[in-house]
Amino acid sequence: MAYLSMGEAHRRITDYLSRFSDAVSSQDAAVLSPLLAVSSNSASLQSLADALNVFQDSNRLVGQLERSSQLAEIVSPLLRCIQSYRLGRFADAYVVLEKAANAFLQEFRNWETPWAMEALYTLALEIRLLAEKADRELASSGKNPEKLQGAGSFLMRVFGALAGKGPKRAGALYVACQLFKVYFKLGTVHLCRSVIRSIETARIFDFEEFPVKDKVTYMYYTGRLEVYNENFLVADQKLTYALMHCSPRKEANKRMILKYLIPVKLSIGILPKQWLIEKYNLIEYGEVVNAIKKGDLRLLRQALREHEDRFLRSGVYLVLEKLELLVYQRLIKKIYVLQKQKDPSKAHQVKLEIIVKALKWLELDMDIDEVECIVAILIYKNLIKGYIAHKSKVVVLSKQDPFPKLNGKPIGS
Amino acid sequence: MEERTGRGRGLGLRPARKALDPSSSIWKPMRSCPARDPKETSAEAFRERSNPHLDDDDNLRSPNSPYLVGTCPDMCPAKERAQRESLRDLSVFERLNGNPARTSPHLAVKKFCRTISTVDIQESDIRSPPVLQRTLKHLINLVNSEEHPFEVVHDFVFDRTRSIRQDLSMQNIIDDQAISMYEEMVKFHIVSHNRLAMHWGKSDLSSLCHLNIEQLMKCLLTLFKLYDLNRLSRSLHTNEAEFYSFFVLLHLGGKIPKMGDSLSLWYRQLSLPILQSKKMHFARALMRYSQMGNYKRFFCSLEAEASDLQLCLVEPFLDEIRAQAISHVNYSGYKLHPYPLMHLSKILMIKESELEDLCHVCGLETSIDEAGMKALPVKQTKFSLPKSGFRSYCLSAIDDVKRRKDL
Repeated sequence: MAYLSMGEAHRRITDYLSRFSDAVSSQDAAVLSPLLAVSSNSASLQSLADALNVFQDSNRLVGQLERSSQLAEIVSPLLRCIQSYRLGRFADAYVVLEKAANAFLQEFRNWETPWAMEALYTLALEIRLLAEKADRELASSGKNPEKLQGAGSFLMRVFGALAGKGPKRAGALYVACQLFKVYFKLGTVHLCRSVIRSIETARIFDFEEFPVKDKVTYMYYTGRLEVYNENFLVADQKLTYALMHCSPRKEANKRMILKYLIPVKLSIGILPKQWLIEKYNLIEYGEVVNAIKKGDLRLLRQALREHEDRFLRSGVYLVLEKLELLVYQRLIKKIYVLQKQKDPSKAHQVKLEIIVKALKWLELDMDIDEVECIVAILIYKNLIKGYIAHKSKVVVLSKQDPFPKLNGKPIGS
Repeated sequence: MEERTGRGRGLGLRPARKALDPSSSIWKPMRSCPARDPKETSAEAFRERSNPHLDDDDNLRSPNSPYLVGTCPDMCPAKERAQRESLRDLSVFERLNGNPARTSPHLAVKKFCRTISTVDIQESDIRSPPVLQRTLKHLINLVNSEEHPFEVVHDFVFDRTRSIRQDLSMQNIIDDQAISMYEEMVKFHIVSHNRLAMHWGKSDLSSLCHLNIEQLMKCLLTLFKLYDLNRLSRSLHTNEAEFYSFFVLLHLGGKIPKMGDSLSLWYRQLSLPILQSKKMHFARALMRYSQMGNYKRFFCSLEAEASDLQLCLVEPFLDEIRAQAISHVNYSGYKLHPYPLMHLSKILMIKESELEDLCHVCGLETSIDEAGMKALPVKQTKFSLPKSGFRSYCLSAIDDVKRRKDL
């Protein structure tokens, strides 16, 4: 670090303070926000941090601010945060940022207009990011990582401040999404419920009022929740909405949405095209789709085994497991088609023994009882139209549409 | 009645001798120093981080009070013994010669107390780890006694084991001793789950069943935290995989109180070694077979791989899956081919006569075919799952399974 004179340090700090104060008095959120973006590592914040290390008595300078008392409560801890962050002390940085953020929230409540919304967004984001860093730091030194949980509490307070009548409520969805991110990270996903209830069922909000960006994020997270709870039709609606309204430039976001949407679509019998899988590099689904197309159970099981970790982490493993029934359906259909080519008059009768042989050929060992069991399930779930003549060990297929499509009804329901 | 006896003994709780031997000189207290700031220890970390719905509600100690070191030498503190004697508040298991107003240090067991204020707790009221182990052993032995109806035994052991957990929590005992005690208590709840479920028709027992499952889940979740706290290398504890599998198996069927998130969400946080362990693979496979309706593979796997305790846990669910099988067979069969019950009963691992009963309970008629064999005429329209649950025709079939395994 180049030598920094006391005078220069003093200048940088007073410069920052007057920019802060001016931004507030002229109600300019665009100027205020970057001053709060601690983790952005902007050059100006870095140079400010260097100055703070040299000039130790910044509190005195803060006291000289025109609008002293209210802003001081915000700015004093904020400066300490910037300093600690630069020094890599994230847990310390988080603690003071929370102080600053609480003070900011107080002021925000008092300001009549939502002029500072963008700045509030910045703070909400910073709180979450810094809490995550802080927890990593705490965990690696054997301490209790509870900062992210604290961030969740703070964000709930912000959400509460925005969830009222009046123009401020347009920001609530952004904060809701930050909360989702926190809860998903912590694994306390059930806490999303109260937030969702406030957004969707309480009569405070009109969903259409919110910015599109936030709606996309919101639908993505709530769509994922529906996937975990196996409500595939609702999940389809939400994730499709997110995909449709996602900005075309945000390829990474589209990929994240597709990661969950594809298993949902598969569950309702809709297969993604190969180009989609390749374009978004979701090759783990490629083999699953192939298995369904070919009726190859061995391929499906292999795919599940190979990507087990990835599927379990994203929570779609159990969804993909259910697709076995689609694969069985396809296999029996192929047998039927082959039989039709050989002898159309007898095609609709498929011996269970043939299915056993086909599976053996795929190196899958299933006896005739199990095959009968599976066929019974397929008939029950209307994936096969027909009946099983137990004595003759034959499944007799309906002459009309013996392999109905799912038609939007989720498999397993 | 006799069969229940056989099963109770066969599935008796066999505590690891080393863990529960109070005279073992190997035992050493392995607790953290009481003077340390409670907030820094990981046990506290878990309590604060965890889901309030799933927390053990026995935890009454405020995070800022120092850990207590129990000195009570008996299963029940003398003060409480005297108090309950005068109030005649003694359970049948605590009465000396049947006298409702007299007990002894060998019979009285400390009760669970929900509303203790932390100010009033004295160390002489809290039992030390060796005493807790002795107490647990005493309680587990009662489970196999035949003198009293099972609900009475269950009620007593349920309450008194809760008190043990309370004492453990107040002293912040989180080492291997805690693990082995929690494992024993989980086993108790599993055996209870099995035996309570057999009392079909007694509606007041269903709430008992429910409460038991709730407590079982809470114990399991605490046990999982204990495993983490005591992890030396990346390896799993001896019984860890099996106890994790219990949590999965509890999700069979829809009767489980929704205590939190779906299994998909739960799997997200588990480590791969646990998820891929043999026991967990087995449990996950059973879930898959059950949800798909693959009754053939379900029962085959159960017979081939289930441990005693897993079987215990799954048994109350078996009739539901059998009913599902009957429903599928009925729906998909051929009108002119009534389905032979003997064949189906073998696959479903149930006696033919009991399968016949089950059909009737589900609203279906059975018939006799030309060869004099029992059969199920298919395409009947009146199938319905009985609202009050099943009577659980599992006894003999499961005994067969276990006998086959012993050979």
